[in-house]
Amino acid sequence: MFHKILIANRGEVAVRIIRACRDLGIRTVAIYSKVDRESLHVRFADEAICIGEAPSSESYLNIPSIISAAEIADVDAIHPGYGFLAENPHFAEICESCQIKFIGPKPESVRLAGDKSLARETMRKAKVPILPGSKGVIVDQAEALRVANKMGYPVIIKAKAGGGGKGMKVAHNDGKLVNAFLTAQAEAEAAFGDRGVYIEKYITEPRHIEFQILGDSHGTIIHLGARDCSVQRRHQKLIEESPAPLLSKRLMKQMGEMAVRAARAFQYENAGTVEFLVDESEKFYFIEMNTRLQVEHPVTEVVTGIDLVKEQIRIASGQKLGFSQDAVKCNGHAIECRINAEDPDHNFLPSPGKIETLLLPGGPNIRVDTHVYQGYMISPYYDSMVAKIIAHGKDRTEAIQIMLRALKETVIAPVKTTISLHEKILHRPRFRQGKVTTGFIETNLIPSSVEQIETRKAG
Amino acid sequence: MTIKELKEMINLMEEHGLTELEIEKNDFKIRLKKGVSGTVVQEKVYSPARLTKDEGATQAGEPQQVEEAGVTVIRSPMVGTFYGAPAPDAEPYAVRGKEIQTGDVLCIIEAMKLMNEIKSEVSGRITDILVENGQPVEFDQPLFKIQKL
Repeated sequence: MFHKILIANRGEVAVRIIRACRDLGIRTVAIYSKVDRESLHVRFADEAICIGEAPSSESYLNIPSIISAAEIADVDAIHPGYGFLAENPHFAEICESCQIKFIGPKPESVRLAGDKSLARETMRKAKVPILPGSKGVIVDQAEALRVANKMGYPVIIKAKAGGGGKGMKVAHNDGKLVNAFLTAQAEAEAAFGDRGVYIEKYITEPRHIEFQILGDSHGTIIHLGARDCSVQRRHQKLIEESPAPLLSKRLMKQMGEMAVRAARAFQYENAGTVEFLVDESEKFYFIEMNTRLQVEHPVTEVVTGIDLVKEQIRIASGQKLGFSQDAVKCNGHAIECRINAEDPDHNFLPSPGKIETLLLPGGPNIRVDTHVYQGYMISPYYDSMVAKIIAHGKDRTEAIQIMLRALKETVIAPVKTTISLHEKILHRPRFRQGKVTTGFIETNLIPSSVEQIETRKAG
Repeated sequence: MTIKELKEMINLMEEHGLTELEIEKNDFKIRLKKGVSGTVVQEKVYSPARLTKDEGATQAGEPQQVEEAGVTVIRSPMVGTFYGAPAPDAEPYAVRGKEIQTGDVLCIIEAMKLMNEIKSEVSGRITDILVENGQPVEFDQPLFKIQKL
């Protein structure tokens, strides 16, 4: 087992990892940028090293600085969290060459799954269902038009170096396609340094269903059930839950097996997530595999009773997975709300600033993952998530009720947060029925006045 | 806070008939309260940052110090190990009192097996060397104080 781990991240996930390490008796080293000096992860860790100025490129993405910190602190392993360097195969390789264990999959798996076009090809070979689409990267407009017409509109153009909902453009006809294709290429170049794009069939009302994977270094790969992350705004998740509501046991079993098959095709080790889209006729398609711990991991932890971060650490230290697929049980229903410091009444304008009053919810069946404290200054340099609230009920109805109770208790002032939006969503009949698809927010809950919501059709 | 300073504070309290005295400075806070029996009771309060740190561990770094007039603090531009001299048996680059010019090498910071020469941004006299040979340093950590001449 490791003696000391460096957490190459910040905020809520850094606190999460430090807690798991503490529980396992492992010493922790935090890294931080100048503006994060008063951060909770810095205070919690046994040691803390300042690595650079505020911008991520100079700090949390600064590989030489982070590796240097790891060396002077003499750590055995690095946990990359999510975001930042978590899916950077170059970083994973450097850790390996410096004899520091990267807590995650092998660099080759990160690379293979990270190239979204290559990943599709790997799935096709493994006979995991994928959306109809281009065989590889689209070279020019002519090819784009050919491919789109062959599979039929609507289509979606995606960056091969993208992921996490970024760098995607939808086109409904030939007229829109060329423009979408050229824009997508330009944006991909700017955002990911790679203008390669591919095309997939676009499903208009899909459900986003993902499976949590755990694989050890002895060849065992299992899944820990499904999460439904269909409540999204601009492809960023707002509410997640486990298990996925309304989908049949038969479908869940099929998809679970496909998820494990997909992970095996990537020779996967450690924690990861296989994402699918499910259409109205319950046909499902692989879209991507995320080779990291995910933000919404708590909903899986709460219903299965398995601590994913501790499992990540154990797997990385060489231990065999301590339980089989059959031993994984789903108990009740969990919902997570991602609370962001954004103003839902003004187009989600980020709302950084000092938290003067903080009252977090508590009581039975509530878990809060956060890095904020009263007096904490939310910085404008990083993402706007301030807390994750997770409610666990014996069924979905009870989980919703408990979450509403918890949201009512919560005070994060005077910054603006998305709590009011979460409350609105949880009250919508369509959400309560479990019939949410990824277009739900845009078509049912355009963020503005209550009057607009009343005039839209019910559900 | 030295014993001498503490004794002085206690004496001041006695002199002026104070029953309670509280002083806060940077991350340090102390409260002196006169007990019922007449003896002075001491309560020491540490800020949360200190409570979770081990003594020997790399510190988070002191908060911004008030810059003294004409003194430039040279801070580490990287994470690594500080070496005061080009080799273990060689003369150190910087000694207290030495006059240096802009661009003179002050020290070496080793990061990932690469030796990086750290050059001074100012001219002046070295008044303080704040780290020791072989000590791990973090980004922005104060290394030297240079007095403008």
